[in-house]
Amino acid sequence: MRDLPLGMRRLAWTLCGLAAAVAPHVAHLKPWVVSLALAVAGWRLLAEHRGWRLPGRMLRSGVAVAATAGIVLSYRGWAGLDAGTALLVLMAALKLLETRTARDHVVLAFIGWFLCLATFLYRQDMIAAAWVLPAAWLLAASLLAVSRSGDEPRRLRPFRQTGAMLLKAVPLALVLFVFFPRVAGHFWGAPSNERAVTGLSEEMSPGDLSELSINDAVAFRVRFDGALPPPRDRYWRGPVLTEFDGFTWSRARAQAYFKPAVEYLGDPLTYTVTLEPTGQRMLFALDLVRDWPESMAQQSWDYQLWSLQPVDAVVQYRAGSHTRYRAGVELSAALSNRNLQLPADRNPGARALGARMRTEAGSDEAFIQAVLAMFREQEFYYTLTPPRLERDSVDDFLFNTRRGFCGHFASAFTMLMRAGGVPARVVAGYQGGDWNRVGGYLIVRQSHAHAWSEVWLAGRGWTRIDPTAAVAPERVERGLDAALPEGEPVPGRLLRRSEFLWEAGLLWDNVNARWNDWIVRFSAEQQERMLESIGFERPDWRHLGTLLGVGLIAGLALVSAWLAWQFRPRTSDPAARSYRRFTARLARQGLERAPHETPRDFLARVVAARPDLGPQAGDITELYLQLRYWPGPDARDLARLRGLVAGFRP
Amino acid sequence: MKLLETIRGILRRWIRRRQGPDEGAVVLHRRRIYILPTQLGVVFGAMLFAMLLGSLNYANNLGLALTFLLAALALVAMHACHRNLQGLVVHGAGAESPFAGQDAVFRLGFVNPGRLPRIDIELRSPDGREHVGSVPASGDARLAVLAPTRRRGTIRLGRCEVATRYPFGLFRAWAVLHPDTDCRVYPRPAARAPAPPAAPGAEGQRDTRRGQEDFAGLKDYHPGDSPRRIAWKAHARGGELLVKEFAGAAAPAPMFDLDATPDGDLEARLAVLARWVVDAHGRGEAFGLRLPGLEIPVEPGEAQRRRCLAALADFGSPGPDHA
Repeated sequence: MRDLPLGMRRLAWTLCGLAAAVAPHVAHLKPWVVSLALAVAGWRLLAEHRGWRLPGRMLRSGVAVAATAGIVLSYRGWAGLDAGTALLVLMAALKLLETRTARDHVVLAFIGWFLCLATFLYRQDMIAAAWVLPAAWLLAASLLAVSRSGDEPRRLRPFRQTGAMLLKAVPLALVLFVFFPRVAGHFWGAPSNERAVTGLSEEMSPGDLSELSINDAVAFRVRFDGALPPPRDRYWRGPVLTEFDGFTWSRARAQAYFKPAVEYLGDPLTYTVTLEPTGQRMLFALDLVRDWPESMAQQSWDYQLWSLQPVDAVVQYRAGSHTRYRAGVELSAALSNRNLQLPADRNPGARALGARMRTEAGSDEAFIQAVLAMFREQEFYYTLTPPRLERDSVDDFLFNTRRGFCGHFASAFTMLMRAGGVPARVVAGYQGGDWNRVGGYLIVRQSHAHAWSEVWLAGRGWTRIDPTAAVAPERVERGLDAALPEGEPVPGRLLRRSEFLWEAGLLWDNVNARWNDWIVRFSAEQQERMLESIGFERPDWRHLGTLLGVGLIAGLALVSAWLAWQFRPRTSDPAARSYRRFTARLARQGLERAPHETPRDFLARVVAARPDLGPQAGDITELYLQLRYWPGPDARDLARLRGLVAGFRP
Repeated sequence: MKLLETIRGILRRWIRRRQGPDEGAVVLHRRRIYILPTQLGVVFGAMLFAMLLGSLNYANNLGLALTFLLAALALVAMHACHRNLQGLVVHGAGAESPFAGQDAVFRLGFVNPGRLPRIDIELRSPDGREHVGSVPASGDARLAVLAPTRRRGTIRLGRCEVATRYPFGLFRAWAVLHPDTDCRVYPRPAARAPAPPAAPGAEGQRDTRRGQEDFAGLKDYHPGDSPRRIAWKAHARGGELLVKEFAGAAAPAPMFDLDATPDGDLEARLAVLARWVVDAHGRGEAFGLRLPGLEIPVEPGEAQRRRCLAALADFGSPGPDHA
């Protein structure tokens, strides 16, 4: 490494690479970190341009201490991805203050690559990959620019040269990616990813779901092994909300219940879910799930699947569900009490209404039908933009606003059930899904978020009642767009109206799904399946290792051949080419032609060393000299030379 | 450190035995190119390992992909580095004699038969100094090895390394050459020397002192004679290069004699002689040199200077010094 000051152009290369590496982090970095980094970079460029002196050690140490303290204070410590990324960015900025030599530039490139890696810890979608690849390329180009001696690099040359090398590297990288054994488990702590992800949460207040439903982002994709269940069965069970404080429903704190037995009816549906990261532990499955990967998740007493690890990256799981079932026919007293609990001093109107309707109905079933009929026949409206509710939310909704989204209806219905003495709870989740014809899978979006009720009926156990279906039956059968009138801010409504855009959207989603399947979720399991498909009986990591080695050697041979071809000597003369083939064959016998040796001198040496080759070598040499140096070369002579060389096998 | 030196010595001797001395032009083929990661390459490897562990820990496939892409890039760079030397033809291209204490300059010529330029070829001198240059595609270039000298005589370049760290500086590929070329080292002219003794019979020897005043005849051209004095007309007529000689009216030319130097050890006396030669040549005068068993007749010019200094360097055959 040459420790000479490097010029403006090299600095510009390094700064471009760093900027590209930092850019994806700007959204989650604290503004002061970004401003500081920008200010330092700008100052450094000016300093290079004007020839200012770089700050001394004292000043640099001061800034370093201040910046580190700033991070500890504003990120509350070191731990976590956000603090780590901010620290890397500040390290780069501080390094920039003392960047003079090639060594300093190299450190910056290394920090840049770590920032690229950190981007993938935040997100692994195609756009992130499409951004990071050129950023890594730029950083490599900056490394090339600083490692060259002499004059400043010409414009785009380092970028082009690095690109040519990356092109050769891609097959090797592919071999490594496919065959490198994936190790399960963590070497150190699980990733802590504290960013907020939109999605269902473990509690539900009025208005939560309508806010979520404006989001058209993909929640998960489902590929069914067999036929698709009809829309009315597409209830994706999420968190079960048992606690009610009069305004907000939330998950039961205590989880120490036995899981009541389930009797599964009919045929199972099996499918694979690819869940986008949620940052939470809930997994979604079709109601009611029977089989799931036990190593990955467990089922709680209210039949909700919980992942053992927070879902910080795309996860995939297979599950089997029955849409017809009898769950929890026996209800323990404790569980019954828990599902009848209501805050004593809240929503007095609804409490009284529920109790009265139950008495009038005479049976639980009739009571349910009466409440649904009330929603259907009285002036209740289904809307994405419900008015805000007072503290006694159910009273306010039932007797005052009467406009609500699914969460309002589920909340009011469940509260009335409990008031009438019927054990009931709210289930949050998703309902429906867009069929992707192109890819053959179901897309479930945040806009499919839904809430419904589960009531316990003697002899039937926990039974799903969807009060929204009473108000807006289209919601369940045909989705949000069909259920809501014009003017409601239904996400993707315009998209759905244009067949072309909708199809294009499905195509794009399919590409994303493939990306998830093949790249993001490529795992030990896929490796195993791949090896089985190419004929390994019981593949293990040793086979992978062998294939990895063979692939690498083949890839390197390819690179070597490619380079040899690029470095091949320049000849346009076919006779010279033939002659070279001849000398190459002799070289393999240990008779190498020295660059200063004339063909005749070389011939003399060949004859001396291998008299047996004399006649053939003599003919070739003379014919070659004739072709090269005599006027008017003859096509027949050339053909003869080629023939002689082809037949020359020493 | 001592162990390291010993190992290095053993390796050097092994390479020398394996390759033998290099005569004429040498093709750097695969078998004589060595390659190892540089310090930077090792750090880069450590970085890749950290990235690999991180990606595996977080089961992050894109992180793995990035790590593998960089690793593959390093592997390609290794091949490119090796290829940057392979097939290059190296030949000796003369040496420049220094005075003892200065650097001897050994020149090596590089011929690149390939279609891509050979970038940043380094030639390392025995004391670690490096000369870097590129060889254009299907072209040639020259680079120098500098060898510090200690004493007069000859210096032998027994070994030198042609290396490259292009691209990225992650790897260093090198080839060892054993050119076994000698370069004469002139004695360093004495810092202070008495004036040379005047030529005997100053007036009577007018003719032997060749100056530039009166034309005195033609003589054969020797390399080093001033091109201004070449008889171009005669050359056009006959073909042989002749140089015009003039008889000057200046002081007679001196004959520098070892016996005329002040008493002292041989090296000091040779240094005095070197001083006289250099000074006389600097003034544009003619001079001769007499050593025991050798006499160089009086003549002016660069060739004469070199002849005399070479005689001083070789006197008493001091034997080669190894660079």
